Amino acid sequence: MNEPVIELQSVYKSFRRTDVLRGMTLQVARGKTFAFLGRNASGKTTTIRMLLGLLKRDAGEIRVLGFDPQRKPLEIRRRVGYLAEDQTMYGWMRVEEIVRFVAPFYPTWDHNLAWKYLRDFELPLRTRIKHLSKGQNVRLGLVLALAHRPELVILDDPALGLDPIMRKQFNRDLITHLQGEGRTVFYSSHLLYEVEPVADEVAILDGGRIVRQAETESLRRDVKQIILGREALAAIRGQLSILDERTDADRMAVTLERADRAVELLGREGIEHRVVDLNLDEIFEAYVVGCRVDETSSAKRQAEIQPVE
Amino acid sequence: MFLRIEKGSAVPISRQIANQIATLCASGGVRPGERLPSVRELARELAVNQNTVLRVYERLCGEGLLEMRHGQGTFVAARTKRGQLAIHRERLVDELRQIARQAVGLGLSADELHELVAEALEGVEVAHPVAANEDPAS
Repeated sequence: MNEPVIELQSVYKSFRRTDVLRGMTLQVARGKTFAFLGRNASGKTTTIRMLLGLLKRDAGEIRVLGFDPQRKPLEIRRRVGYLAEDQTMYGWMRVEEIVRFVAPFYPTWDHNLAWKYLRDFELPLRTRIKHLSKGQNVRLGLVLALAHRPELVILDDPALGLDPIMRKQFNRDLITHLQGEGRTVFYSSHLLYEVEPVADEVAILDGGRIVRQAETESLRRDVKQIILGREALAAIRGQLSILDERTDADRMAVTLERADRAVELLGREGIEHRVVDLNLDEIFEAYVVGCRVDETSSAKRQAEIQPVE
Repeated sequence: MFLRIEKGSAVPISRQIANQIATLCASGGVRPGERLPSVRELARELAVNQNTVLRVYERLCGEGLLEMRHGQGTFVAARTKRGQLAIHRERLVDELRQIARQAVGLGLSADELHELVAEALEGVEVAHPVAANEDPAS
């Protein structure tokens, strides 16, 4: 039971000359709501499609519910609830028709649950899919993804195209229907302020690998901005793990990991400083566009200059 | 219990919830012995992770502000058990100190800062009677 529900180990994937994933490693524990964050075109959808066995990896290992999705794609799709980013359903079908159409594909389909979700989500049964709003479409996609009681649910940017009211409702659905029932949820998003209240854990994808995976709350405790004098920073720079830095005259604003230790160090050294709490957007920005000086990012830049074969 | 979550704030969600419940307890917005919404209900209402709400409740119980009664739910602790309100007072004084420092940094005079605090207080006083209306004893 303790083995991760999703596990990626040094996964590589490229399309023609574009390297999308470069040694991606990730673990999702059972029962977690896990948010998968990255900029557009950072490889989120590629990763998700590989988890479902819809795409082949070039190298590395993937396990979903203990199966290799490339070898057992049907097993995976039977046990995973999946909502694609651009869910396309037969537009001419009515809502109740598609539910009846999809049901036989799943041995564990629960008709009563499907009708309950349709009622909860206030979906019009007799309406044709092409006449549904974007929000109703996502909800219908969710009904189809959840009614077979999957232990794992993978949602590719479900908030895309939803207005703020629908997003809140969607978050509620996720909390009540998925978290409340102890299922594992893996979902991608580009709206960080929407993710924060809901996710147990987040992973940030950048440059083809995970640059940080952490519990949402510990991430916010760990990454902070510290404002201090330029010379004072120069003296202790080597002992800090800096993600981003900005200069203003003789003062520097550095965003760093392990803020507790940094503050302790500054206290010991008697260096005057100010600590600023950051929101998740700012933390994300520091990881994906910050000017890092550590070796991983210089290695990354190197890799960008000379494409890995 | 009316709580408000500010998304994208630099204040973590759990601290926002904890501070607001602590404030409600301190101001009488919720009375000793009053039953709070269940973790499930509050999580749904605020659209916030259930674990976050649970951790907030547990922490406030640890601080003596709330108490969990087995199988019955979470209640506001009796005043005698609230000796640890000092923790919240300290936290508040800390935040005020930071604000004062920022104000000085911005070049505000003491008078100007006092005025701003007074203004902010006026905003709070409007909110109070609403909370008090829920209290049948008042």
